[in-house]
Parts: sequence; C-alpha cells; structure tokens
Amino acid sequence: MQSRFVVRSIIWTALYLFFILGPMFALLAGSHPPVRDFWTEFSAAIGYAGLAMMGLQFGLTARLRFVTEPWGEDVIYHFHRQMSLIAVGLVVAHPIILFVIQPERLALLNSFTAPWRARFAALSTYSLIALVVMALWRVKLNLRYETWHVTHIVLAVLAVGAGVAHMVGWSFYLADPWKRALWIFFALFWIALLLYIRIIKPFFMLRKPYRVAEVRRERGDSWTVAMQPDGHAGFRFRPGQFGWLTMGSTPFKITGHPFSFSSSAAADGGRVEMTIRNLGDFTSEIGDIPVGQRVYLDGPYGAFTIDRNPADMHVLIAGGVGITPMMSIVRTLADRADKRPVILLYGNKDWDRVTFREELDKLKQRLNLTIVHVLEKPPAGWTGEKGFINAAVLERYLPPPFADHEYYICGPDVMMDAIESALSQLGVPLSKYHSERYSFV
Amino acid sequence: MRRLFADWLALGTAVVVIAMSVLFAFLRTSSELH
Repeated sequence: MQSRFVVRSIIWTALYLFFILGPMFALLAGSHPPVRDFWTEFSAAIGYAGLAMMGLQFGLTARLRFVTEPWGEDVIYHFHRQMSLIAVGLVVAHPIILFVIQPERLALLNSFTAPWRARFAALSTYSLIALVVMALWRVKLNLRYETWHVTHIVLAVLAVGAGVAHMVGWSFYLADPWKRALWIFFALFWIALLLYIRIIKPFFMLRKPYRVAEVRRERGDSWTVAMQPDGHAGFRFRPGQFGWLTMGSTPFKITGHPFSFSSSAAADGGRVEMTIRNLGDFTSEIGDIPVGQRVYLDGPYGAFTIDRNPADMHVLIAGGVGITPMMSIVRTLADRADKRPVILLYGNKDWDRVTFREELDKLKQRLNLTIVHVLEKPPAGWTGEKGFINAAVLERYLPPPFADHEYYICGPDVMMDAIESALSQLGVPLSKYHSERYSFV
Repeated sequence: MRRLFADWLALGTAVVVIAMSVLFAFLRTSSELH
C-alpha cells in the first residue's frame, strides 16, 4: 500500500473508533445519574458501543470513495460483515448481562407487559439477529439477492431506529439535554449516510445516464455490454476498477450490481464495457438487454489497479470470469504501448469456455505478453497446463525472485485462497498481492 | 489475504471497544464519577 494510503487508512480507522467510542465517553461528562454496579455499567457501555457500530454500518456501505480508496470495496464489505457479527454480539450481550445480574428483569422479555423502551430493545435485537442470519445464510436460505437486499436495508433501519428509541426511552444517561441532542445528532448522521447512497447519490446519477451501445456474446456463457454516456462526458477509470450497474429507467432502484470494467481505460469518449457471465441469477437476462436501453453506472471504485503499484513486470492471475479486470489491464497496457512484461495465468474449466482467448492471442502482438492457459478439463491432445494454478505452475513460468513482481489475482474465492497460499509459499510478501473478490456482495 | 487484514481490523476494533467499555464502567464506579 502506498504511504499516502497508509496514512489515510490510519486516519479513517482512528475516526471510525472515535465515532464508536466518542458518543459513549461523552456520557461521562456533565452531570451523572446514580452509580450502579460495575457489570450494569459495562452492559450499558457495550449497548451504546453496539448501537454506534450498527449506525456506522451505513457509512461502510455508502460507497464513499475517499473512505474506501485505501482498502478497496471488497475489503470494506468484508469488514462490514465482520463488524455486524461483533455488533450483534455486543447488542445481545447487553441484556444478557443485565438478566444475569437481576433475573427479575427477564419479565421485560414479555412484550405484552413490558414498557415501550423494552419493546424497542427487543425489536432492535431481533431485527439485528434476523439481519445477520439472512446475510450469513442468504444462499442456503435460497433468497434472491434483490429480495435479500431490500430486507437487509429494512431490518437495518429497524434495528438502528428501535435501538435509538430504546436508548432515548430509557434515558438513564441522557438526562442532560445536550447529551440527548448529541445522540440524536449521531442517529441523524447514520440515517444521512443511508440517505446519501439511496437518495442523494442516485439523484445526481439521474443527470448522467448511459445507453447500451452494444451487447456481444463472448465465450464462456458471458456477455459484453458496451455503454455510452448519454448527454455527458462519462468518467475515467483505472484498469482493474469496477462500477455499480443499475439497469432500467431509474437510478433509485435499491439493487445495483458491481462489475469490473473490461474495456481499455485509455479509451476516449466515456464508453465503457462490462463483461458479465451468466451465473443463473439476474445475469441470465444480460443477453436480452436491448441496444439503446438506459442504464446507470456508479463508479469507478476499487483498489485493484496496476496504476497504484509501479512495477517492472505484472503477473495477472485470473480464474473464469475473473478475466474481466485483467482484460481491462491488458487492453489499457496495449493502448498505452506499454512494453513491460506481462504474464497472464488464466485458469478455466475447458478450452471452449476461455473468454477472450482469441483477442488475448492477438494482444500478444502489441504487448510483451505471455499467456499460460491452465485447464481443469483439457481437450484431447492438450499439451499445456492441466488442473489448477498452484505454486508449481507459478514456479514454472515466473522468473525469480518471485517477491519482486506485483501480483493481481481475480477469480472464485476457492481459487484466490489457493493462489494466495501458493504465493505465500514462494515467499511473496503480502504487499505484493492485489486481489479483487467479485463475490463480495 | 486482504480479507485477513479486514478480519484483524475487525477483531482489533472489538478488543478496543470492549476494553474501553471496561474503562467506562471502571470510571463510572470509581469515586471520581459518582
């Protein structure tokens, strides 16, 4: 990571902690309610911290480029997921500690007789638990991504809203009007983060629509969708980055989908291309998109780009449709007449499904490009690499010392875990890995 | 590996938040903040 990104990541981490702990410690200023035992006070503290964490979850997914840039969106979404587990742990531990100290408080679980502040607490906790369960087991629960996404937002708003209502209703620490105002300000700030991504950002996107200019079939049951800015200049992206695609006539749709750009970042005119594989969900309809269809693009995003890491040679490792950001990288390098060596290790199931294989072959004439195809089920007479990309394959094709190269990896999670482990075996430091997990949402 | 970094960051945040919650409770129950 470049030093400016290291500094920014430290600042944002410190601010994140401040926004969790600051409102809690502010409660210790001014006048104080009667003191209680240690565990009751500890329980109150983790309740406040858990609520602040829940609220800040809206910020982690608000696509604030200046915040996410040092890490990349896939890391931020993974952090968002992990923090939701920690927040649910704190929020559930908060009443459990109180019940253990004073078992008669268990009567508060009866929502028919409990006061409103306890009902809000129960609603917040149950919403948060449902939200985490649905997020962890969405695929096993057979939930459509779009349905899950809407439910996720509704449950998140319920969990935070009911949590704030519980806190204000209990009012133990919020007797001072300024403390009450401070916490209400933070609650409004969290809601503003949600409104930013759901209302404000789409409002600005409304003025910058795109039109589908071309839909091309590619090998491997994939489609390339070319989009042209409609009435504006579009945006510039770096090779390897991605954008959120919202299909249809409005950018206010809840669900956008992240896809890597596959076209050259050096192209003029704002035209961008995304190559999308049919994975059986909404992607199965990509081939039916009519030319001229209005779409909205939010981007560019992502830390996965060669432009951030100067190197004498690039090693690109792709699995299946993970070729799309690599395609943008090699097309851009060709357009820039970049003569630095590029080695592309490209894993696929079979030869017929190797997306872009013909164009990659042609690009060898414009670039110092070596392509190593690794096939899981090679055709008869195949003399190339078979099986999966592993440490042995890397050792055969990469010039030592391995730690000197920059590695860009994109593919299915299983493949990426295997490659990262292979690179570790070869002594490649973490700072040289650059990966993009396209299954981050 | 980058996700491992996010795991450690999340774990570190949890540890700091719990430690600060202990401090909060300690300060509240100590004589100064009664």
